[in-house]
Amino acid sequence: MIHNQTMIEQRPAPSSSVGAVAWLRTNLFNGPINTIFTLIGLYILYLLVVPTVQWAFINADWVGTTRDDCSREGACWVFINARLSQFIYGLYPSSEIWRANIVFAMFFSLIGWLAIPRLPFKRWVAIFALIVFPVISFVLLYGGYFDLPKVPTHRWGGLMLTLLLATVGMVGALPIGIVLALGRRSNMPIVKSFCVVFIEFWRGVPLITVLFMASVMLPLFLPSDMSVDRLVRALIGLTLFQSAYMAEVIRGGLQAIPKGQEEAAAALGMTYWKRMGLIILPQALKMMIPGIVNTFISLFKDTTLVMIIGLFDLLGIVQAALADSRWLGFSLEGYVFAAFMFWVFCFSMSRYSQYLERKLHTGHKR
Amino acid sequence: MTQAATNNPGNSTSDLMVEMRGVNKWYGDFHVLRDIYLEVKRGERIVICGPSGSGKSTMIRCINHLEEHQKGEIVVGGVPLTQDVKRIEQIRRSVGMVFQHFNLFPHLTVLENCCIAPMWVQKKPRKEAEAMAMQYLERVRIAEQAKKYPGQLSGGQQQRVAIARSLCMHPDVMLFDEPTSALDPEMIKEVLDVMVELAEEGMTMLCVTHEMGFAKTVADRVIFMDQGQIIEENAPEPFFNNPQSERTQLFLSQILGH
Ligand SMILES: Nc1ncnc2c1ncn2[C@@H]1O[C@H](COP(=O)(O)OP(=O)(O)OP(=O)(O)O)[C@@H](O)[C@H]1O
Ligand SMILES: [Mg+2]
Repeated sequence: MIHNQTMIEQRPAPSSSVGAVAWLRTNLFNGPINTIFTLIGLYILYLLVVPTVQWAFINADWVGTTRDDCSREGACWVFINARLSQFIYGLYPSSEIWRANIVFAMFFSLIGWLAIPRLPFKRWVAIFALIVFPVISFVLLYGGYFDLPKVPTHRWGGLMLTLLLATVGMVGALPIGIVLALGRRSNMPIVKSFCVVFIEFWRGVPLITVLFMASVMLPLFLPSDMSVDRLVRALIGLTLFQSAYMAEVIRGGLQAIPKGQEEAAAALGMTYWKRMGLIILPQALKMMIPGIVNTFISLFKDTTLVMIIGLFDLLGIVQAALADSRWLGFSLEGYVFAAFMFWVFCFSMSRYSQYLERKLHTGHKR
Repeated sequence: MTQAATNNPGNSTSDLMVEMRGVNKWYGDFHVLRDIYLEVKRGERIVICGPSGSGKSTMIRCINHLEEHQKGEIVVGGVPLTQDVKRIEQIRRSVGMVFQHFNLFPHLTVLENCCIAPMWVQKKPRKEAEAMAMQYLERVRIAEQAKKYPGQLSGGQQQRVAIARSLCMHPDVMLFDEPTSALDPEMIKEVLDVMVELAEEGMTMLCVTHEMGFAKTVADRVIFMDQGQIIEENAPEPFFNNPQSERTQLFLSQILGH
């Protein structure tokens, strides 16, 4: 098992000197059957792409303020433009939007900082992002301190709400998932059965039901003078729901770590939590990055379901805007916009996970 | 490494490092260890051999509670082994273990592998832990690889790192479970050399191995196990030249015969 330290990087095969024509011939037109398929494929592509491009770009209208600025031949992006601030901030008062903007700016800078490997002080930035940033965000978004007017959560919406739901869900689901996964492997019967029941309960219930329960049933159980914010209820439901899935992903990762690792750590006198925190989890989480990111992506898309309990996330607010009598008939543009925004975030996450996977693969594994 | 043998904070000055009295263990219905009696004095070197499945690993793994015994008593450095987690961890800190498959931590460098327990278990400052780790890595002749990851090392190198990792905890006893049997022949010697040096420096050692040359040079006693029992124990010279039981004779003829 002597690994060569100066392993030669894999390079793509040398490209043919004849170039594109040769590539076409060997890949798309080698033989009559392939040629037919290629031609059919190209025709279908033509049927799909040309009208789409024409609709979305060539015949589209971009500038203006009302529906009369749209020619109706192509997409009317004017609608998106006019409503953009709502789509991003929901019903957040326009005089206070700067507060949301600060939070957005911090959010994306922190994510960027943590995602780009070259940048230093990762540990401190992570601690800041997990402890200080949430407090700052809450104070800024909700207000009530430092003369900032209160903005009740029912005015929060759009992309801001989607990101909030997704981020809190992810950040909350990961540690709870880890604890549940460890608990499920524990040999303490009470802990183990609690975790099994918890995980199987949440995995067996559709998220819609969870959200309904959180919004309709929870208040029935609570004393009437105690009211929990609707957003908070949705966050709790979402987080618990996702943590059950996260737990199963992490359990898979834990199972893949050879038993000898824990034995070696135990033989050195480490306590259970040190064995887990220093030896087992760092290895398991590295291996589980694709699974964890997949869970994150599905969580991100699942946040749209909060619509049914009256929260206006990105999709919800787009849909609400479609009902505006001044902008009737632009649902396609609205949905395309919402889909595109979701796609951008999910695609970035998926690319980043692929990048991490490659990086860990070429790194010093095993 | 004399320091390792004498440095035993918190332990009694008992002359016996390991005592096993009437230890029994079952896996379900399967009786793996039957009435094991074993006493190991400070500085003694014991080699344990026996056919596959005879319970050698299980026996030494009971000493640091990687396996749990159901009956009998185990005392390590004067501390009786109980179910108490704190007690178990205390004993494990004073017992080093080297595994057949090294079990180095692949996500940590060689140096970090050696430092992690001193830093997190013994709460040594990083600088001190690293200096000590380098010292032990030098003794196992692998200091120049300190910044590498285990996956970049050969099996023999990995096993020497594993030995250094254990020594960094200044154990009173070292347990070896077939430390060379996963190695290519040309790497066995470099690991055995380190183990011989360790023995010469007075480390208390319990070593499961089929390296009979090693047993002859360093062992004070050789123990033969079969079907969960200690069949025979003796000094190496009479053990090899004049085995008493038939099973020992058969085993020795098989292992030395080829
Ligand atoms: N977790 C377990 N569950 C059930 N049986 C086990 C378990 N671990 C070991 N055994 C059995 O206990 C017996 C003793 O195992 P042990 O590993 O101690 O043998 P060994 O003498 O070390 O053998 P080897 O030379 O192959 O390492 C074997 O028959 C094995 O099949
Ligand atoms: Mg064994």
